[in-house]
Amino acid sequence: MTTLETLNQIFCMVFDDETIQIHPEMTANDVDGWDSLSHVNLITTIEAKFGMRFSQKELLKQRNVGNLIDDIERKLADN
Amino acid sequence: MTFTSFTFYLFLPVVYLIFYWTADRWRWLVLLVASYGFYASFKAPYLLIVLFMVTIISYVCGSRIGSHQDETGRKRWLQIGVVACVAILAFLKYLPFFETHTNTLFGLNITLSRTIISIGVSYFTFQAISYLADIYLEIEDPEKHFGHYALYMAFFPKLLQGPIERAGYLLPQLKQPYQFDYDAMRSGLLLFTWGLFKKVVVADRFALYADQVFNNVHSYTGLTLIIGTYAYAFQIFFDFSAYTDMARGVGRMFGINLTENFNSPYLATSIADFWRRWHISFSRWILDYIFKPLQLGWRDWGQTGTALALLVTFFVSGIWHGASWGFVIWGLLHGIYLAASTYYRPYQKKLHKMFGLEHSSWLKWWQVLVTFNLVSLAWIFFRAKSLGDAWYIVNNIAHTGFDYKLARSNGIAGFLNENLFLNISMYDFTVLVVVLPVIWLLNKRIFSVFSKPALARWLSYALLLAVIAVFMCQDKPAFVYFQF
Repeated sequence: MTTLETLNQIFCMVFDDETIQIHPEMTANDVDGWDSLSHVNLITTIEAKFGMRFSQKELLKQRNVGNLIDDIERKLADN
Repeated sequence: MTFTSFTFYLFLPVVYLIFYWTADRWRWLVLLVASYGFYASFKAPYLLIVLFMVTIISYVCGSRIGSHQDETGRKRWLQIGVVACVAILAFLKYLPFFETHTNTLFGLNITLSRTIISIGVSYFTFQAISYLADIYLEIEDPEKHFGHYALYMAFFPKLLQGPIERAGYLLPQLKQPYQFDYDAMRSGLLLFTWGLFKKVVVADRFALYADQVFNNVHSYTGLTLIIGTYAYAFQIFFDFSAYTDMARGVGRMFGINLTENFNSPYLATSIADFWRRWHISFSRWILDYIFKPLQLGWRDWGQTGTALALLVTFFVSGIWHGASWGFVIWGLLHGIYLAASTYYRPYQKKLHKMFGLEHSSWLKWWQVLVTFNLVSLAWIFFRAKSLGDAWYIVNNIAHTGFDYKLARSNGIAGFLNENLFLNISMYDFTVLVVVLPVIWLLNKRIFSVFSKPALARWLSYALLLAVIAVFMCQDKPAFVYFQF
């Protein structure tokens, strides 16, 4: 399973919506219920699933799903 | 000089004409000199020095953050810049607080703070901090042109009371070549005039009621306290949104779009929704630069971390308004509302379903009513002259006892005049009753006048000006948010 597919599964689970299809340009405005509270759930779920830890700066820099994928893939490559 | 002072109506056309006749490459200089001149009109030279210092500090620190490749160096310059800006802000804002306590502690009689004003400092300091943080987070590049950066900090329409603009939004606009645009000019003039109307006809009139109650709280109970509280809620909204309309109107005349600060905040259906609609540039600032770092830093604590981050963020928001317990409690109340909602929200839908309310059209209006009253409750602490006054209002606002003795001695008309109309003339009351529905209908649609035939358009302009001239409130308090 690719990073994108795993991430898509996490999105569907966190936002309780099986129809979500994530893409790099997607932002919080495009997903129903993606607010600051659910964002924390999303991040902690990603960290648990991929076994990684984002720095605060990485999290504050992320502006869309593309940034999130880049950070995940960079961290996976570093490990 | 403020937007409602006569001198501003001389200043604005003169600045515009000089700006218009100047070549594009020097227009920033015209606006910069005008902005410093505008600030100098408050006859507090130290304010100009403070503005210049914050500008220099943030410009230099921003360049340093950008020039460092290593994380340690970038972080160090961010910290230096932010600490310096916060120290300047704290010194000016909390001087009266420190002075009072120093005087009490050491039996001194220092009165320096009485001559110090900090008008505008909070707003441009917040801009400086957001600029530094955005460079550190690599969202923005440091600005190379010092003149453009200084104008971003000082641009006079938003200098005194915001909106708090992000560098990424305002700086590119300040660099664009200017071309006269008839539509931008007329919409700017209309927005400015609409703001003036909201300030001098509506907000200042609500202030009559709010001031009467909050300056004499112990003379009133029950319904009168409710009237005073609601009057203040509307005063502060109309006052602040009027200022924002005027600032945005002036901005448009110079080809600059400033951020909208209000979006019908009293129609919010929750406190979180209220903060998405009220003082938007400020709430986005505290969300991005205080709440998010805290929330993400404490994410391992789950919901508790979020609730704590909300409490701390709104505590800081209260302190930002001033060193008084009233502001602290106002901030904490909002923090508590929001923190509680993080726990309540998962059950909210289930409760609505249980009571069969999920499709009810009444539900939205019930939520609006509850939110408005929670916000109004917090305004009591924000406005009251002391914590004692605020507690008195909270304890007596639900007092429904009718004072027959007082009513008999004053006569029913006198009693109503004193307790419902607060001895304020029927004329002022009538103006408000007539004007409010007009604002409700037109506030979001004022620009639709441009699609009307020329005669209707010009009659509308004339009518608006006539209403301002005839119904302008005789009392002219300063804009509420100038003090912050």
